[in-house]
Amino acid sequence: MSILDQRKLIKSIHPFDLLGEKDLDNLMGKIDIAYYTKDTLLISKNLPSIAFYIIIKGSVTEYIDDEIHNVYSSGDSFDADALIYEKTEAKFLVEEDLICYEIKKEDFLDLMQDKRVQGYFLQDFVSRHQNLKHHDTQSELTPFLMARVTDIYLHEACLVDENSSILEALKKQYKLKAKVIIVKKEDEYEIVTDTDLKEKVLLSGLDVNEKVSKISTSGIISIDINDFLFNALLIMTHNEIKRLVVTENNQIIGVLEQLDLLSYFANHSHLIAVQIDKAVTVEDLKDIQEDLNNVIRILKTKGVKTRYITKLVSSLNIKIYKKLFSMVMPEELKNECCLIVLGSEGRGEQIIKTDQDNALIIKDGMDVSLFTDPMMKLNSYLLELGFPKCAGDVMVSNEFWRRDVSGYKALIKTLANSMDESKLQILSIILDAKAAAGNEALLDDVMNYLHTNFHSRDDVLAHMSKAVLSFETPLSLFSSFVTDKTHDNKLDIKKGGIFALVHGIRTLSLQYEVSVTNTVERIKELNNKGVIDKNFATELIESFDTLIAIRLDAQSIDKDENYVNPSNLEKNQRDLLKDSFKIVNKFKKFTSFHFHLNMVV
Amino acid sequence: MFSSFFREFFKKRDLKRLKDDKYKFLFEEDTSGEYVVFDTETTGLNPKKDDILSIGAVKIKDNKILTSQTFEMFIQNYCDISSESKKIHGIREVDLINAKTTFEVIPEFLEFIGSRPLVGYYLEFDIAMINKYVKPLLGIKLPNEQIEVSEIYYNQKIEFIPQGNIDLKFDTILQNCGVPNMGAHNAVNDAIMTAMIYLKLTKGNNDVR
Repeated sequence: MSILDQRKLIKSIHPFDLLGEKDLDNLMGKIDIAYYTKDTLLISKNLPSIAFYIIIKGSVTEYIDDEIHNVYSSGDSFDADALIYEKTEAKFLVEEDLICYEIKKEDFLDLMQDKRVQGYFLQDFVSRHQNLKHHDTQSELTPFLMARVTDIYLHEACLVDENSSILEALKKQYKLKAKVIIVKKEDEYEIVTDTDLKEKVLLSGLDVNEKVSKISTSGIISIDINDFLFNALLIMTHNEIKRLVVTENNQIIGVLEQLDLLSYFANHSHLIAVQIDKAVTVEDLKDIQEDLNNVIRILKTKGVKTRYITKLVSSLNIKIYKKLFSMVMPEELKNECCLIVLGSEGRGEQIIKTDQDNALIIKDGMDVSLFTDPMMKLNSYLLELGFPKCAGDVMVSNEFWRRDVSGYKALIKTLANSMDESKLQILSIILDAKAAAGNEALLDDVMNYLHTNFHSRDDVLAHMSKAVLSFETPLSLFSSFVTDKTHDNKLDIKKGGIFALVHGIRTLSLQYEVSVTNTVERIKELNNKGVIDKNFATELIESFDTLIAIRLDAQSIDKDENYVNPSNLEKNQRDLLKDSFKIVNKFKKFTSFHFHLNMVV
Repeated sequence: MFSSFFREFFKKRDLKRLKDDKYKFLFEEDTSGEYVVFDTETTGLNPKKDDILSIGAVKIKDNKILTSQTFEMFIQNYCDISSESKKIHGIREVDLINAKTTFEVIPEFLEFIGSRPLVGYYLEFDIAMINKYVKPLLGIKLPNEQIEVSEIYYNQKIEFIPQGNIDLKFDTILQNCGVPNMGAHNAVNDAIMTAMIYLKLTKGNNDVR
């Protein structure tokens, strides 16, 4: 008889949950509980690791070169690397009286014989990250892409015998409202599409009483009912076809239409886009906002990556901007200006509505005052729709953000010659600009001017990038979140991580003339230009995604929330967050080195 | 001094009374350096009337609780389990259908503890329960040294609050020693928690609050 509660505890810790019952029983016979007082040195360069530790209570800090590298607390385990590679650069010190399970080195290495466990401990950062995320979605809900063909509505197939006439086949097709006719031959199926009917019957004047097999074509593309919907989409895209025949045990049971498939995937996001297009008044748009929030929630629970949701949401937001623009702007002025969105909206990274950051670029030679009224109206409509006011007043209602092209150029010129923090902030805002409506060429003109002006201004770039280092990464907070009452035991995920990534990537993009504004796209582009290597780029994207996702969770409760309480997170999420902050730190080091920040005063 | 003298005295006396020479090892000098923490779940709180339902024990060596060598046995008996105690340990009559009898379990338990010192919370009771079966079998009571954790706790605590009224409830001690509650009250879990308390009290920085 085993000790069930202990076993349950171990089993709840990833990756031990991957072990089979027998292996777990076996493992339980090898685990001891140890007690260590505060300040006990567990592992160091000169003190080889003798066991694998799983914390029951207390905490342990890992130092590398006397810097806090990681903090482990209840439910965490360490340190596989020290056991596997038999050496470590790190120092593990008990921070708070420790009660922990100990798996002796030999037993741990035995355990590593299990491929899944081995895989977990030997993976590098990126794959471990993805593994954890995968695990997360898998354990929470059916992942988005796990839906199968069985889950979706199938149309009845219009099956006819090869000896039936074209007319009979058409009658049956009409009755079933089917898009295609499937002809059953002796040992295979063939298909008759609308194109076939048009070309082979109508155009060539074939008699409708002829056999249907005369016009059918072979090579039906089918999918099994148990296959993934995702595969269906791939097959359709690959073969440029709009429908698939669905089979079960090689018998045709229905037809899967691309339209159904797409709307299944997009939920009704597609519908929302149509609704926005159809909206006539601001009231109409208001109703749509509600729907949008629902879609976000549904997509999130389906495990769609945050960056895809943000993409969808920001494209829908742009649609709203476009609609409002067309409502307020007189026809003759529409092409004489360009409405742009800035900040997170410009980067396409907002989900919950953050402040409206927008501006208007007016064609040189136009009377700027003509645009005042429409813009005031636009601003009030946006407020009505729940886009909050921008605290920094970066809005079209502010005269400062309504200028002509040469007005912006003059502004950029003064910015380029200034080292002032507030001026650099304005520059950062402009850098994320994205055209929402109107004449996009105007924005291109301004951005080109901006890039040529900053191309070789390493001094300004260095000053700009300095802000990356302005907030500490809250990794050390982990050790103290039990006692740190000033922050309500929480950490600021925006200051602590997101800002550094966004701003650093933005500055690099300015230096290397990357014109996209989305952070993930920027990282990819910087990778293409060879500024950062593939591995680092992937790490950055994954970390960014994690940070945004965790913030989204917090914001679903309070929309202004940038603070997250790590002890409220699931263990997996906590690990992901820790790993992400590590990458943020790596990125900070990269930035200071890249811009020689240690030399900038 | 005095008490150890008595123990030696009784030990010698009991050794002579020992019915079965097989169990002489109980009197040998302990060289393992280990302690055994144990707990019993019973049908009630009266050693005279009630029976043992299960025994859980773990060994302690230095700063480690050797959960890899856990002792856990369920015991068949003919006494009714009071509904009060059922609520505490969750052992019902049906859970014991496949259990062993005391005649099988007690020798195994003696084998497990050897001559190691015994540690427990309200140990007196558990020892009395065990002795109820040991006495007929060996003719003697358990000769092992006994360490009461609530006593260690009391002695440490009383230094800070000399006139204090010290709460010696298990859960209070658990909490004040910062030992996590491992969940259900069963013999093994309780033994492990008691072991943690013991380590905390003897190896810790004595910062019991």
